[in-house]
Amino acid sequence: MRRPRRLLAFAIAAAVLAITVPVAFAAQIITLSGATASFPLLEQLTAKYATLQHNKIRFSVSQGGASVGIADVGAGKVDIGDSSRGPQAGDPPNLYFYPIAKYFVCVVTNKSNPIANLTESQVQQIFEGKVRNWSQVSGSSLSTTIDVQSRTSVAGVLTTFQNTLLGGGKVASPPATAWASEGLEQQAVEKDPNAIGFLSDYFAVNNKLNAVAYNGTACSVANAVNETYPGWSFFYEVTKGPKSGTEGKFINWIQTSKPAKKIIETNWIPLTITKPVSG
Amino acid sequence: MLDRIRRPWSDRRAELVLGAAACLLAIGIVTMIVFVVRGAWPTFSHDGFSWLGSHGSVDSRIGAMQNTSANPAASAYQIGIWPLIYGTLLSAGLAVALALAVALAASIFIVDFAPPAVRRTMTPVIRLLAAVPSVLYGLIGVLLLVPFTNHLVTQQQKASVAYVIQLSGGGVAVVVLLLAVMITPIMTALITDALESVPRPWREGAIALGLNPLRATLAVSVRAIRPAIVGAVGLATARAIGEAIVVSMASGGASFSPNPTDGVVFWFEPFETAASTIVRNADGLSAPVLHSTLYAIAALLLFSSFMLSLAAYLVKLPLRRYQVSN
Amino acid sequence: MAQSESAQAPQLLPPRRSRGRRSSLFSWRARDQAVFALAWITGIGLCLVVAAIVLLFATKGFDYLRPDLLFSRPSAAVNQAQSGGFLDPIEGTVMLGILGLAIAAPLGVITAVWVVEYGRPRWLSRIVESAVEVIAGTPDVVLAIFGLALFELGIFAPLSFSSPGGAFGRSFLTSGIIVSAVAIPSVYTATRNGLIATPRQLREASYALGKTRIATIRRVVLPAVRRDIATGATLGLGRIIGDTAIVILLLGATLRTQTESGTPLLGLLRGTGSTLTSYIYNNSPSGEGNAPNKAYAAAAFLLLLILLLNWGVGRIGRIGGPPIHEERRLGA
Repeated sequence: MRRPRRLLAFAIAAAVLAITVPVAFAAQIITLSGATASFPLLEQLTAKYATLQHNKIRFSVSQGGASVGIADVGAGKVDIGDSSRGPQAGDPPNLYFYPIAKYFVCVVTNKSNPIANLTESQVQQIFEGKVRNWSQVSGSSLSTTIDVQSRTSVAGVLTTFQNTLLGGGKVASPPATAWASEGLEQQAVEKDPNAIGFLSDYFAVNNKLNAVAYNGTACSVANAVNETYPGWSFFYEVTKGPKSGTEGKFINWIQTSKPAKKIIETNWIPLTITKPVSG
Repeated sequence: MLDRIRRPWSDRRAELVLGAAACLLAIGIVTMIVFVVRGAWPTFSHDGFSWLGSHGSVDSRIGAMQNTSANPAASAYQIGIWPLIYGTLLSAGLAVALALAVALAASIFIVDFAPPAVRRTMTPVIRLLAAVPSVLYGLIGVLLLVPFTNHLVTQQQKASVAYVIQLSGGGVAVVVLLLAVMITPIMTALITDALESVPRPWREGAIALGLNPLRATLAVSVRAIRPAIVGAVGLATARAIGEAIVVSMASGGASFSPNPTDGVVFWFEPFETAASTIVRNADGLSAPVLHSTLYAIAALLLFSSFMLSLAAYLVKLPLRRYQVSN
Repeated sequence: MAQSESAQAPQLLPPRRSRGRRSSLFSWRARDQAVFALAWITGIGLCLVVAAIVLLFATKGFDYLRPDLLFSRPSAAVNQAQSGGFLDPIEGTVMLGILGLAIAAPLGVITAVWVVEYGRPRWLSRIVESAVEVIAGTPDVVLAIFGLALFELGIFAPLSFSSPGGAFGRSFLTSGIIVSAVAIPSVYTATRNGLIATPRQLREASYALGKTRIATIRRVVLPAVRRDIATGATLGLGRIIGDTAIVILLLGATLRTQTESGTPLLGLLRGTGSTLTSYIYNNSPSGEGNAPNKAYAAAAFLLLLILLLNWGVGRIGRIGGPPIHEERRLGA
């Protein structure tokens, strides 16, 4: 009769110890969610910052799309929202958007359909669903149905594309296929010879896809820097209320420090490089 | 105090404690209904029953709902989810019809015609098919079947619907096939059990009267297990309606209402069901309008699964006089 | 032919039984023959489908599954196709299975015991039985969305972690609680059938010796249905580790197991992570992923687990001889 009682007492003591002791060793967690276009950048930035802080801070980054990140941070679900678009009417109130990098959006086609250039009206007609066959597009040698690939409505890249390259128009979806992430749209364009889509530069500028020039201007970093290519925008880090606390320090680090700038330069445009003032 | 617990319990105390634990399940269900309806209330109060109708593209409405602020206007809740309801009924109905035919034929095979060795292997086979997780079926769908059907769709077929929808392989045919494969083992197991529990003299009497074995089974055993068939159909329909993962992986991703008058192209047209819409848009639950819309869809699913069990129960009542199991 | 033979042969051998012409397959009507062929085709067809599925994942697994995948952690999400394994999803699956079963098994057994052995008042017992049926028929998405609504209330913050809007609501604990609901019907049904099938004499002998009802249940009846409980629990475990929708909605979808602040064990349970099912979903072209090879490898491993569980169910059914309710009747 006495042994079970001792065992029970021991178990209770162990449980109490297990619960109370290691609180001192807890690392602080910062949660982020949002754009898939800026996810590769944020992954690297958070990893670098965590090592610089000797792993006292841990990050949990999830995706979902720019609007999801904005809604999450507005509802208090995460600490920082990643956005690839600026603030819009209809966003939750009291949000602060801090730009961290510049990116641009290219129209892309499959490698087997190497269109060199599309004019503004051609882009509008294709993505708005008015032209549905490649034979009606000059510069393409195909005569098949155009498979338009787009993003779901939570995507900031979609907003940027519609505002800049479509001149405010809207992608007609259906018939376009709406993908939930940049990676999925990239795969779709890679696999389908009849596909056309739009991607942020990290996903568009590589040797697997054909990036199309817009109105004669090539889709490249240089043209985005001097803003001759119109399809550019900023990545933002969004907080509820002005940035403060550990998140604020992280955002400051991204905007001002050298290691962050080096990471951004690999595939995107740091904010310190601005359009050179003429004259 | 420990001693008091360790002393033998009286029956009265045991009955109360066990009964309380058992009632946890019933309380859990009531809680579930309360929470789901509470979450869905804004949509119901703003839209009323027009929410079940068709008000344009579900995809674009859901997209707009992602971007609304904390105090949305009543018009922000406007949505007509009929395409989702239609997609659910279409996929579940076709899948259950296909699975019923296959399950009946397979059960008759197992009970009557299979040699003993084959019958012994069929039981683990059926059980294994029932145990395969739905995400594996979805993977087969999205990595194998969808590219395959994409291959089958000709350019003319794609061009014929090009201005309305884009065909990319995933759609009615793939989803119905996968759902049917998923629910066939459940139905087969239930119907086989029921067939085996029909008293042998019934069937032997039919054979003695001159029917061949197949006719005897169809005329006697299958008629006798009609309650079990109804139960199996109910269970399978519930499973097919609630299946979100397979549909979201293999259905083509656009909430479109497939048009049977399109002919062969109908089988390749994409669609969405209620359950798959919830899974697809689960990221956006922080946006209040989308939150209540998704909960409203969940409430609809809950209601329909209740109605399904009720319907199965009611259909079985008049058949009870056959007194054969279930 | 057979009849004439038996008429000629001397009566040393029993006459060969003939089946008669009427039941020969070739005498059936064409429609019946067609149905007969259909029955055979579907029967064999089902076996072929299973064989095809198993073969598919076996070959893909053979191509893509390597032992180091099982023991290394997932790498950064953008590089999923190139490197990293799925140790964290495996951990997640194991944890979720244990958690879900730890809740489902006692609850299912207790409910079945109460319904079969006590079951008064009758209306309550019917309500409980219907409740189990309702849970069995509810889609797992609805269960998951209910879980989200429930556990985002502030009072449940200890189960996950608190965020400014209440509680985060997504963690191993919350998803374990909800996922147990898919296993409860299996445990309940198996236990109930086992309890109903145990002979009355077993209980009556125990009463004759002076034991109370609860003691009889605890010491005599439950051990007799151990095997049924084990079968039901294994089936339930199979359903738990195969569930995807609940995991996607309620487990936070982080690739690696993230522990919440605090204690080793409690922090792990309150944290987020992934399981094999959500890993497969995310790496397929429906998730955010780009790594169908990894999805195939994880799928092959998951199927292997399910096969093992299924085989285990078969074995449990045969441990130690036939179950007690099939043995010779007492006193016979």
